[in-house]
Amino acid sequence: MAACNRPDANVPPSVRYPNHVAAGGNAPPAGEIKNPLAADSTNSADGGKIFSAMNCDGCHGGGALGWVGPSLVDGRWRYGGTDGALFQSIYYGRPRGMPAYGGILSAGAIWKTVIYIRAQPLPVTVPTESFK
Amino acid sequence: MSVRLWDSRVPQADRYHYDMRIASVLLLVLLQGTSPQDDGQWTMPGKNYAATRYSGLSQITPANAARLRPVWNFSTGVLGGHEGQPLVVGTTMYVVTPFPNVLYAFDLTHEGYPLKWKYRPEVSPTALGIACCDAINRGAVYGNSKIVYNLLDGHTVAVDAATGRELWKTQIADMSQGETTPMAPFVAGNRVIVGPSGGEFGIYGWVKALDLATGRILWTAHNMGPDSLMLARPGFGRYVGDANIGVSTWEGDSWRRGGAPVWGWITYDPQLDLIYFGTGNPGPYNTEQRPGENKWSNSVLARRPADGSLVWAYQFTPHDSWDFDSNAEMILTDLVVGGRMRKVLVHFDKNGFAYTLDRVTGELLVAEAFANVTWAKGIDKRTGLPILDTTKTTGASRGNVKGICPSLEGGKSPASPSAYSPRTGWFYTATNNLCMNFEAAPVTRIPGTPYIGASTPYMPGPGGNMGEFIAWDAARGRKVWGIKEKYPVWSGSVVTAGDVVFYGTLDGWFKAADAKTGRQLWKFKVGSGVVGAPISFKGPDGKQYIAIYAGIGGDWFLLSGDVRSDDPADVRPPADFAPDLARHTSQGGIVWIFGL
Repeated sequence: MAACNRPDANVPPSVRYPNHVAAGGNAPPAGEIKNPLAADSTNSADGGKIFSAMNCDGCHGGGALGWVGPSLVDGRWRYGGTDGALFQSIYYGRPRGMPAYGGILSAGAIWKTVIYIRAQPLPVTVPTESFK
Repeated sequence: MSVRLWDSRVPQADRYHYDMRIASVLLLVLLQGTSPQDDGQWTMPGKNYAATRYSGLSQITPANAARLRPVWNFSTGVLGGHEGQPLVVGTTMYVVTPFPNVLYAFDLTHEGYPLKWKYRPEVSPTALGIACCDAINRGAVYGNSKIVYNLLDGHTVAVDAATGRELWKTQIADMSQGETTPMAPFVAGNRVIVGPSGGEFGIYGWVKALDLATGRILWTAHNMGPDSLMLARPGFGRYVGDANIGVSTWEGDSWRRGGAPVWGWITYDPQLDLIYFGTGNPGPYNTEQRPGENKWSNSVLARRPADGSLVWAYQFTPHDSWDFDSNAEMILTDLVVGGRMRKVLVHFDKNGFAYTLDRVTGELLVAEAFANVTWAKGIDKRTGLPILDTTKTTGASRGNVKGICPSLEGGKSPASPSAYSPRTGWFYTATNNLCMNFEAAPVTRIPGTPYIGASTPYMPGPGGNMGEFIAWDAARGRKVWGIKEKYPVWSGSVVTAGDVVFYGTLDGWFKAADAKTGRQLWKFKVGSGVVGAPISFKGPDGKQYIAIYAGIGGDWFLLSGDVRSDDPADVRPPADFAPDLARHTSQGGIVWIFGL
């Protein structure tokens, strides 16, 4: 199990999203993976740098508030909001324009990005919007 | 005119010659300053080759416009921003939706205008994440019995105008490089002219010509790089640029990822045999990664449609520091400028200046601000260069540069095409009154991902109104009248021989004004903000109608204020400057037709 603490040991098989749909509702094996890194401020800060350097903010906006790509800090997840689901979204890409960063980013860098995203504050939920 | 395009019995093989004749007649008429007899159709995005968006129909007038009423509407079933305009060919109206780019054909001869057919192409949803600015489409063009339009995922399709059958489909753009294709193709003779979006993705900008009959790519001309790839030969025609100016005005090989997309409108002068189009911003936004003038980004280019060769070019914003794309329409007409009749091209640039150029030579005749401008003090007519306020120049080492006007949405959005009336001699255009701060940062290009490098929050400009619809005298470079609007005005316009001009607003009004005075004549709430362009056509019953899309979208900021209902957008900064827009509109595409 010691190997599991090395980020790169948790890389899922290198296939892209269209080959990786959860057929019959069975989660693909990669969905089981856990974040081996600590969700601390150092990793979050590193993830924030990666978020900008890899042009994530180009689509998802500064602070991941959303632009062309959806906000990643509104608490709403199309493809699952667990650490493992976020890892998969980044690693494999998603079908509406999210590129696959597996092969561009190391697993450790992806995990740090996940930590950064999850560290961002969520807006206050306002189910009723009133106008004056 | 001896032949009416309305007549569907016209031999289709003659359509090209036919269009050429119509264009010649129109040109003659413009020279004479009188209105042509209108065939009642709307077969290309800008109504005619000159893109005047002028309808010769005159039943609707300032005297009766108050009686306009909706006669028909249709939900497109699509939520994305509904830019562009329908076409009317014969007795059929054609509507292209935003992604998934469905093409509807409505039969105008039957009550309720039922569908003749609809064409649903396969479009890759990957395009949704690569299109910078919503999943929009700017419309189709008719040519030789075909409806031709672009799919968002980098394909051009031609569909049989009678049956809806797909005739050809050609891949023109590469999404893996960040290219998408929402622009409206243009047909000049047997050439279909197309270009890509992707100024925010570091593409290598180009324009291509396809064979209208087969869809085969006939030539590709890049907007920068070596002369051989720009199809430029200094000394040929009026092109007098230095050799390989598309390389020498960039640092290193930065031209290879320098943007300069072609996502706006194209015009054609059949007598000069030149097409005109604007190019978009150089990439990335961080200017320090591309020292030099960055030719021919932010420029107008004149090319031969037959082989693409570059005849002349003029750059509006050299070494663009503010994302001032020049993709807005280049309207062609003849005006008396400085006491001389000139063949001109008129262009409202994102940079806030309206330009009147000699379209034979590219000579700058008039350049005056039509919007609030702080980045430049004016345009030097002798050199053609802007007189910069250097405190507004941006770059990663310059930090957060504040108070730049207009914002990068433009003094006018290129997505909001203007109209020109030969009766008044004036141009009619939507404008935006927004400013921005601009904080640039170094950025690395990863193909298929954004290549931007700047944070650019917007704020309203001075005066309390974020938009204005104006009439512009392009011979003198001055505003004639203006109608102030609370929100930025993002719609196109149409002006008619009845001297009525139409436009829409982001808060969901469709309006008619007196083209001579700017007096508001009529308005109607169309259900969603208007970012489309109205058209005027004659129905099979002989009556004049006006059609317009409702359906807000087309840019991130247009969704500010949480106008989305299916998926609330985050309205924290920088999209927070119009927080109450959602009080007046939400997403959703509707086609409207109005008549007396």
